[in-house]
Amino acid sequence: MKVLVVNNMAPFVWGGAEELAHHLVKHLHAAGEQADVLRIPFRWNPAERLLDEMLLCKNSRLTNVDLVIGLKFPAYLIPHPNKILWLVHQYRQAYDLWDAGQSNIPDTTRGQEIRAAIKAADNACFSSCNRLFTIHTTTAERLRRYNGFESEVLMPPLNDPELFAGGEPGSYVVAGGRINSAKRQHLVVEAMRYVKSDIRLIVAGPPDTPEDAERLRRMVAENDLESRVTLDLRFLERSELASLVNQALAVAYLPFDEDYIGYVTIEAAHAAKPVITALDAGGVLDLVKDGDTGHVVPPEPEQLANAIEALAASPPTAVEMGLRAKEAWLARGVTWPQTVERLLS
Amino acid sequence: MKIALVSSAMPFVDGGYKFIIEWLDSVLREQGHQVEKIYHPSLEDPETLFDEMLAFRLLDLSDATDRVVTFRPPAHVVPHPNKVVWFIHHFRVWYDLWGTKYCTIPETPYWRAFRARLIRADRNALLEAQKVFTNSRTVSRRLREFNDIDSEPLYPPVHAPERFRSDEYGNEILCVCRFSNHKRQRLLVEAMHHTRTPVRLRLCGAYTPYVTELEAAAQGLDPLKVAIEARWISEEEKIERLAPALAVAYFPTDEDSYGYPTLEGAHARKGAIVASDGGGVTEFVRDGIEGFVLDPDPRAIADAFDRLWGDRRLAARLGEAAQVRVTELGIDWPSVVGKLLS
Repeated sequence: MKVLVVNNMAPFVWGGAEELAHHLVKHLHAAGEQADVLRIPFRWNPAERLLDEMLLCKNSRLTNVDLVIGLKFPAYLIPHPNKILWLVHQYRQAYDLWDAGQSNIPDTTRGQEIRAAIKAADNACFSSCNRLFTIHTTTAERLRRYNGFESEVLMPPLNDPELFAGGEPGSYVVAGGRINSAKRQHLVVEAMRYVKSDIRLIVAGPPDTPEDAERLRRMVAENDLESRVTLDLRFLERSELASLVNQALAVAYLPFDEDYIGYVTIEAAHAAKPVITALDAGGVLDLVKDGDTGHVVPPEPEQLANAIEALAASPPTAVEMGLRAKEAWLARGVTWPQTVERLLS
Repeated sequence: MKIALVSSAMPFVDGGYKFIIEWLDSVLREQGHQVEKIYHPSLEDPETLFDEMLAFRLLDLSDATDRVVTFRPPAHVVPHPNKVVWFIHHFRVWYDLWGTKYCTIPETPYWRAFRARLIRADRNALLEAQKVFTNSRTVSRRLREFNDIDSEPLYPPVHAPERFRSDEYGNEILCVCRFSNHKRQRLLVEAMHHTRTPVRLRLCGAYTPYVTELEAAAQGLDPLKVAIEARWISEEEKIERLAPALAVAYFPTDEDSYGYPTLEGAHARKGAIVASDGGGVTEFVRDGIEGFVLDPDPRAIADAFDRLWGDRRLAARLGEAAQVRVTELGIDWPSVVGKLLS
C-alpha cells in the first residue's frame, strides 16, 4: 500500500510534528508499506492568508496514493477518497485560542467569516475521513467541543526507545524537559537545599527564555548549591539526554497540570527509572503512582527533598520502582509497530 | 542564503528531475546554504490542470526564502520576488506534441482555448522570473517558439563525476538506459547482425516488455555478441561496466537533453554513438569529435562499431574529447550553482 503522510511545513523549521511524521513514515516502511511525507508550506499571517492556504490544499491533486494520513491544518484538507486523520492540532487560533483571546484572526466581521470558513472546511474534511485519531485527550476534547466529532486517542510513541535502555542507578537525579516556570524545575533546585545525603541534581534542557535560565542560576548561587546542582541549560542531543537518564537514580518531572503523560515521563519509564512528581501534575499521574512507580508529593521543596532522600537511601528500592514504571508503560502498548497497526486497521 | 527548490512531483515516482534536485540540494548545503525542497503533487490531468496551477500559485514563500528555484511545471508559476526557473520541459501534449499522434487531447474549440490560456499563463509566470534556464537548446527553442521567452541552456551535471573512470578501451559498446521504443535499443541489436569484427554490445536497464522484442532481434547471433541485462543496475555496477568499455551508445529519437548516458560515458572518457535525429544528444556529441552522429540505420551503426574496435586510439581520442566537452560546456556543479544564484 502507498501511504502518504500529509503535514505542514514552515520552511527551515523542524519540530515535534516533523519528527512525528518522519518516524511515522519510517515505521510504515518497517511494516512493509510504501510511505512518504508530503510537506505543504503554510503561512498563517495575515489572517486573510488562511483562506488562500485552504484553497491551495483543496486544489492540490493526488494520484498514485492509496491512503492519506493527515496530521495538521490545512494540509489535511487535500482531497483524497481514502483519508484518515491523526490530528496533531487544528488551527487553534480559530477555536480554543480564539476563545482565550490569543488569536491572529481579528475580532471583526471579516474575522468571523474567516473563522466560519475554517470551521466549515474542517467539518467537511472530518466528515469525509474514514477514521479520526487524535494525539491526546485534550485534542479529542477540542474536536468534540468545537466540531462535534468523536475521535480515538492514539498517543505518539517514543521515537527512539532503543536509546533509553536503562542502566545502573547513579548518584544523581535528573530533571529534564523544556525549562520554564510551568514545568517547575525550580522546585527541585530549591528542594536540594533540604537534601542532606550526597546525591546530586542535574537539570538538563533548553530554557524557553533567558529569564527561565537566570532564575535557576540565581537560585543555585544564592543557596551555595554549585557542588550539588549541575545546570546544563541547552538543547541536548537525544543520545546525550538518553545517557543522562540511563545512568540516573531517578527522574524528577513536575509540570503543572500537563495535558498528557509527557515525553519526559515516558523516557524515564522506558529507562526503568522511578519518577518524582507532584500531586497537581495532571497527565503524568496516569503513569506515576506514589510508592509504586515513583513518588507523588505536594509541590513543595521540603516534600520533594524527602522523596529524593528516600530514593537515595535505598537504590534497590529505586530500581524496583523503575522496573514497575517500565512494566506499566510497556503494558500500554504504545509502540510504533502497534500504533501503525491501529492506524492501518 | 535560504533557498527553496520547488518542483511538481508524483508521489512514489522518481524521475530524472528529482535526482537533479537532490544533487543540487546536497551541493548547496555543502556550500553552507540553507535548503528546503518542496515537492508538490501534480497529475497533469487536463480536467484539473488549472486547479493545480492555482495551488502552486498560492504557495507563499516570499518571506521565508531569499531565492526560489523551480523545476518541473507547473512549479514555475510560484510567485516570488527572486525566482529562478530551471525549466526541464513543457507539458508537451499542449506544446510541441499538440496536433501530433502523441497528443491525447481532442482538437475542439474548448481545448484550443484552454491551450491558449495555458500558453499565456506559462508565459506570464516565466516573465516574472529573474532568469529562465532550460536543460537544453531544444527546450530553449520551444520556449522561444511557443511562449516567446528567452532562456539559457544550463546542462544538468551528474552527481560526483569523479567516481567514473576508464581502465582500457575493450571490446564492448555499452548502452545503459531505460528499455523503450523511444530509446531504440533495437537498432543497436540489429547492427550486431552486420558487424564484421569481434565487437560486442551490452544493454543494461530496468526490465520492460520491450526487452522481449530485443531478445527476438538478437536471435541467430552468437550469444557472446549481445548481452542484455534487463534489470536496474547500481551506480557501482555502472561504473565497473563503463571503465573497460570501448564506447557508449545512446540512440533515442528527439530527446530533450544530451542524456545522462552520454554524460556518464564522457566522465569515464568514452566516446558516444548517437543518432542524427537524437535532439539534445547532438548538442553534446559532434560527429567525429566526441563520438559518431549517425543516421538511424543498423549498417551505419555496425560500421562505427567495427571502426572503433579496429582503432583503439580513435576510441581513446573520442573519449578524451568527450571529457573535454564536459568542461567546455560548463557541465559541473560549481558552474551550475554560480548561475542559479547569481
